[in-house]
Amino acid sequence: MGRYVVGRTADLPPGSHRVVRAGRVGVGVFNVNGKYYALNNYCPHAGGPLCLGDVTGTTEDAGAYNVLWVRQGEIVSCPWHAWEFDIATGRTITEPTKAVRTYPVWVEDGQVILETDGDPGSAARRQQPGGG
Amino acid sequence: MAGGGARTVDCAVHPSIRQKDELREYMQEPWRSRPFPGPERYFYPAPMGEYAPEARADGGLPGSDPELAGRRLFTEMGVDCAVLIPLTRGLLADADLATAICAATNDWMAATWLGKANSHGRFYGSIRVNPGDPEQARREIERWAGHPAFVQVAVPMQAHRPYGQRVYFPLWEAAARHGLPVAVHADGGAGVDFWPSAAGYYSTFMEYRTLYPTNFAYHLASLIAEGVFDRLEELTFVFADGAHHMLTPLVWRMDKDWRPTRRETPWTKQLPSTYLRTHVRFCADRFEMPDDPKVLDGWLEITGAHEMLLFASNYPYWDSFDPREAFTSAAPGVRERILSENARALYKFKPGATTPGGQAGKPGPS
Repeated sequence: MGRYVVGRTADLPPGSHRVVRAGRVGVGVFNVNGKYYALNNYCPHAGGPLCLGDVTGTTEDAGAYNVLWVRQGEIVSCPWHAWEFDIATGRTITEPTKAVRTYPVWVEDGQVILETDGDPGSAARRQQPGGG
Repeated sequence: MAGGGARTVDCAVHPSIRQKDELREYMQEPWRSRPFPGPERYFYPAPMGEYAPEARADGGLPGSDPELAGRRLFTEMGVDCAVLIPLTRGLLADADLATAICAATNDWMAATWLGKANSHGRFYGSIRVNPGDPEQARREIERWAGHPAFVQVAVPMQAHRPYGQRVYFPLWEAAARHGLPVAVHADGGAGVDFWPSAAGYYSTFMEYRTLYPTNFAYHLASLIAEGVFDRLEELTFVFADGAHHMLTPLVWRMDKDWRPTRRETPWTKQLPSTYLRTHVRFCADRFEMPDDPKVLDGWLEITGAHEMLLFASNYPYWDSFDPREAFTSAAPGVRERILSENARALYKFKPGATTPGGQAGKPGPS
């Protein structure tokens, strides 16, 4: 089991994220509204570095050409092709759903702890790039 | 040569007025005496002639004789019923004139091909409307929506905006509300059309015929990207000018762009290609598709033809499609779907609903 100390909670406040050197391509650890999430840094679309993308919100249709800006801070947008993922679940906000691998992450004694399965190549190999 | 099939539906027949001023009998002033273009295409005439030899009527324009058409379609080719799409005059600068021509075309159809010439009840019609004035077009739909022989709305391919744009929405909303598909077909005449390509004017009829139907791609992409199908669940567009096998792969391109650009189109809730099956149909064209039957079968399957394709003769034009020769090598069951079942699932045919003299289905108040 790979267990990583990501950092102190004070260094990872809400709205922040960083990529931990774990696994083959790294794991992104995000603080969304005080809760931590960890996503593999490998986009299921074409293998891009998902966790280097912007943490942002997105648009929602409110009927008759009205558009709302929603979910600010809950979405990560892949820097390669702008696919949008819900950080909390690692799933695309569009269907057919594609998902990035997620990992357990929690707080212990003021530190953020990440757990991966410890094999450097396994996380990346488990995901293959997909199509549209 | 396979039989036409007792239940073959011909989804595009193009009737004509007998002579060029006949339409004026159905118009009021000031339009009745106003000059307007004739029905034939201006920019790219067919060098060998537009019409099939057997469609030439004595003393009238080709395709103007409903009895001759009926013999050709129903008796010789074995078609069961036909959806008529008369052509209007394209984009005219005067939107009110274009609207008046559409209204007169509908009145003429109701009186003749759908009226006194329809004792067999096998002709069905399209409500011509002018999208250049969406409010008048909406009213024209309401005027005819109750008439049992009109089974769809028809608009020209030529437009000043792609049809998904919001100015047209009330038109499609009215069509969807009445359960009427909307057919798109290149129109007759020549008005203030945009030039035919992004590289300017091509020179030959061959270029025109190959390329012009692909203009439907602009309307199709627009309808998807502007969320029209998301907002109108009941709406179906029928692209009545061929090119199904070219345009369905274009939407696969759109699939790739949908997620990257989703923020711009949050109203497009599904992968673009999913809208094809649920909201779009295509009329078949004789002069397209691969020649090799093995390749054709695969291509029909890949492009979803068994669900989306509708047989159409395109009578009275030179490239008319005889149903007895259509898709004879298609996989079992596919030919029946293309020749008959897809159309019957789409249109509300009411056999015998119209009586000689056009007694049934008088239009509602204007």
